[in-house]
Amino acid sequence: MSINKVMSLEAAMAHVPAGTRLMMGEFVGAGEPAKCIEYLVANKIGRLTLIAVTSGLRGDFLMGKLFAAGLVEEYIGTHVATSTEASDAYLSGQMKVKEIFPMGTWAEKVRAGGMGLGGCLVPVGVGILDAPGLFPDMDEPKRTIEINGRTFFVEEPLTAEVSIIRGWRGDALGNVEFRYMAAQNQKDLAMAGRFTIAEVNEIVPVGTIPPERVGCPGPFVNAVVQSYTLEQQHALYRENWIKLGRLPKPSEGDAA
Amino acid sequence: MNHLHGRDPRVVIAQRCAQELRDGEVVNLGIGIPTMTANYLPPGINVIFHSENGCFGFGPKPTTLGADSDISNASTEPVTLLPGAAIMDLATSLGAMRNGYIATSVLGGLEVDQEGNLANWAHKRNGKWWPGIGGGMDLCHGVPRIIAALQHTDKHGNSKIKKRTHLPLTGKNCVKTIVTDHAVFDVGPDGLVLREAFPGLTVENIRAITEADFTVSPKFGPMTL
Repeated sequence: MSINKVMSLEAAMAHVPAGTRLMMGEFVGAGEPAKCIEYLVANKIGRLTLIAVTSGLRGDFLMGKLFAAGLVEEYIGTHVATSTEASDAYLSGQMKVKEIFPMGTWAEKVRAGGMGLGGCLVPVGVGILDAPGLFPDMDEPKRTIEINGRTFFVEEPLTAEVSIIRGWRGDALGNVEFRYMAAQNQKDLAMAGRFTIAEVNEIVPVGTIPPERVGCPGPFVNAVVQSYTLEQQHALYRENWIKLGRLPKPSEGDAA
Repeated sequence: MNHLHGRDPRVVIAQRCAQELRDGEVVNLGIGIPTMTANYLPPGINVIFHSENGCFGFGPKPTTLGADSDISNASTEPVTLLPGAAIMDLATSLGAMRNGYIATSVLGGLEVDQEGNLANWAHKRNGKWWPGIGGGMDLCHGVPRIIAALQHTDKHGNSKIKKRTHLPLTGKNCVKTIVTDHAVFDVGPDGLVLREAFPGLTVENIRAITEADFTVSPKFGPMTL
């Protein structure tokens, strides 16, 4: 087959100009597409609308650097203060947040966007999140609907011009395999983006990933780029966790 | 010296919360004091810890060199996976929270009131409601037993156990039990019922620092820590 979605970081990121509506896989700093974030920061690609479940993690975790560099114009997610960088951008008025979503609502909005649905009906937060004045910058008040005697919010789908996800192994067809909690909702994000970049720890020959282990099928992916290797990534996270006091410094004789 | 005789109030709360957990149940611990609860499970009590980023059955912190960048909890602290652990995607994990598959959740709070309303996601800064909801609202919506774990008073001495919450809520009428560094209350149909106080404290001591109305359980006694 002649399909080859593997490309350089520069070629893939040429699809992300300033002003892009961008979805990104991550969870409080875990599962971040590190090389793509570094590229955005190095090339100062700004005015982004960033759709991500959290706003990263402080310290040397990477997504926070997008906020610190002033690249994010609007954030659509569940928490503006998992990184101090995002919190500062929001409180100073530099970054717009029209509304904050419960995590399950956000995940279903992304899923609706990926699956081609008109939205989803969510009971969480009814009578709380629709309180007048809570989110003054919302485009329109939250809509509700009654079904079988219960009240639900009508939540519209979330889609993006570009989605960037991070996986473990990827191949030329765009198939991506995830490890453990880094699966997150990266497949849904991939489906909700018009152009999807998968940053992976390891690029492997087609056929290497067992079909049942493909977490994001190739047709949902447009570009596969090389991330840090898994060993490099482990080393970076351990270093950051030590800096944040979440792990002790390894002493001599410690074994894995 | 405070009423705890120098003990860390956060540890007292976590230790007391741990006694509320039931053997074999699925438990989600919120960020902060609730997370510390896992360190104080009584002997013979084993639970399945759920992490909202997509796991049932995570275990303690690994060694530094054993830490895996793709295995962490909802606060992105490195954890391990116990035998029998199960990974799921984020939408499934939040669905489990919303739809009753988690038996008990221990959550921190800014305020809780005598009707079991919990506020823990927003306070006003620079004129904006800040900082964020995360998975807390999904838990309050779908988890049958919410335990609110918080210090009894704020740093100015004001009661966090209110007659009525003023901050935007995380959940309505969802809290079943409140554990503080002073007391344990159950939220009943007729309001709060004081079940325990920190050893040495009287009902009058608790009343003096509690804004909410409460009755006293016939089983009222000291916390066992």
